[in-house]
Amino acid sequence: MSLLEPIVPTLLSVRRIPNADPALLAAYGADPTRHTSLGLVTCDQDDALYVALDEATKHAAVDVVFAKSFYAGSAHASGKLSGEILGVLAAAEPQSIEDGLAALTACLAHDACFYDADGARGVTVFPHVIGSLGHYLAKESGLAVGECLAYLVAPPLEATLGFDAALKAADVRAVKIIAPPTETNFACAWLTGQRPGDLAACRAAAAAFIDAVVDVALRPHAR
Amino acid sequence: MTSLTRALVAEARARRGAADPMPPRIALPPVVAPPARVYVARRPPLTPGAASAHTTALLGVGHVGTRYATDVVLQFQAELAVAHEAVAAELTDGWAKDHGFLPLQTRVADHREYLLRPDLGRRLAPDALARLQAEAPKGVDVQVILADGLSALACMQAGPALYEATVAALRARGLTVGAPLCAKFARVWLEDEIGAEVGAKVAIILLGERPGLGTGDGLSAYLVHGPALGKTDGDRNMMSNLHARGTPAEEAAPRLAALAHAMIQQGTSGVGLDLAKVDAVIERGYRAPQVRQRLVERGGAR
Repeated sequence: MSLLEPIVPTLLSVRRIPNADPALLAAYGADPTRHTSLGLVTCDQDDALYVALDEATKHAAVDVVFAKSFYAGSAHASGKLSGEILGVLAAAEPQSIEDGLAALTACLAHDACFYDADGARGVTVFPHVIGSLGHYLAKESGLAVGECLAYLVAPPLEATLGFDAALKAADVRAVKIIAPPTETNFACAWLTGQRPGDLAACRAAAAAFIDAVVDVALRPHAR
Repeated sequence: MTSLTRALVAEARARRGAADPMPPRIALPPVVAPPARVYVARRPPLTPGAASAHTTALLGVGHVGTRYATDVVLQFQAELAVAHEAVAAELTDGWAKDHGFLPLQTRVADHREYLLRPDLGRRLAPDALARLQAEAPKGVDVQVILADGLSALACMQAGPALYEATVAALRARGLTVGAPLCAKFARVWLEDEIGAEVGAKVAIILLGERPGLGTGDGLSAYLVHGPALGKTDGDRNMMSNLHARGTPAEEAAPRLAALAHAMIQQGTSGVGLDLAKVDAVIERGYRAPQVRQRLVERGGAR
């Protein structure tokens, strides 16, 4: 273990339903008139999977119809495959689900993950920068498809100092700040550039967030 | 894929003087590259009957049990009746003369024979041929012929207006036009014999076209360069659906004149004519779809 080491998320289960029952489709938020197939994934990092689900919508004709975090996180999961989130992709046919799952898997392996903020996995941080939003997070955030976003997550106090540092460090505005506790007892903020498409501002905000969270993790009682 | 976040974290590690490199990337099978355009949510599917707003074809008419709705059946029957009536109509005696045309008749004796013997409808009767030779000026650029064709109703309703507009458009281009002729029981190829007799460079016949459902009032125009017996349909250019809901006379006339002018300039017609060199007289932009004329009103109590 070392400081700011990536903690690669684990896909605990990945299953497909090629031709789902319409009642099930409706219950999970899909539209039975245009969705047929589902792809279901559970993961031990909820925010990484939210980003990966959005990545899937950029690669394939899929919609994210269901994505919810489980209470208290993966350390207190209901089963060894539950993790802390269930995500559901829906599409008109199974091949789109395959394409979407491939993009999702690659995103989790190479891009979206928590990082070790104190070198001992006692504090973790998710300082993610998205260059171009897919239509899932665009809808969730109210931003346009293709906008950039800093997706910042950390434990309650670390996150609070981190958000403050991020908002002051760059020309960004808060799209949404979810104060603790979330389902998983973290805090979350979505920031975007004051000017649309200002990716540099998002990057600067995320960099400041990392530094602030690591500082709190290493010096929790500093004055 | 490249990770913006991973690059940021690597920089943060460097700021803190971390010596050990970031762990290597996990090997994965290649992923389909994202499309240039992000997928957007699909439009809702067309509701049944939505397509019928764009056409007069019988689309999306619905059903009642295993049969059509009554108003659909009645509309169909009414439209068929319009077509039957148009086919059955004849040019009335004296109509041509009253409207300033030189009346001509083909070798057809009556309406039934006209429908059964297309070949007789393509040649002039001997007395009509003699009248044409005696009264029509020869050596003109364009000979325009109005005829009944398969819809005498269309000929009598819209024929004179289209004839006048076409002749005016031809004269505006400096072309000489032959005598006004109106042929009864005529087929398209009659223009070959008439055109050859008057020595016209181009012959145009405007005649009622085979009626379709609800359209008994359509005219067609057929143009041929160097008219002579033996010309085929490959030697002709034509415009169809010349009526108010299709191409109205004021649009058709300049296009017909442009076609005739191009035929004279290029010395050919039909397949040999280079349509790219025909003057673009009318913008070919978007035209709103035809609206189906309701011949039957839907019942009240619903």
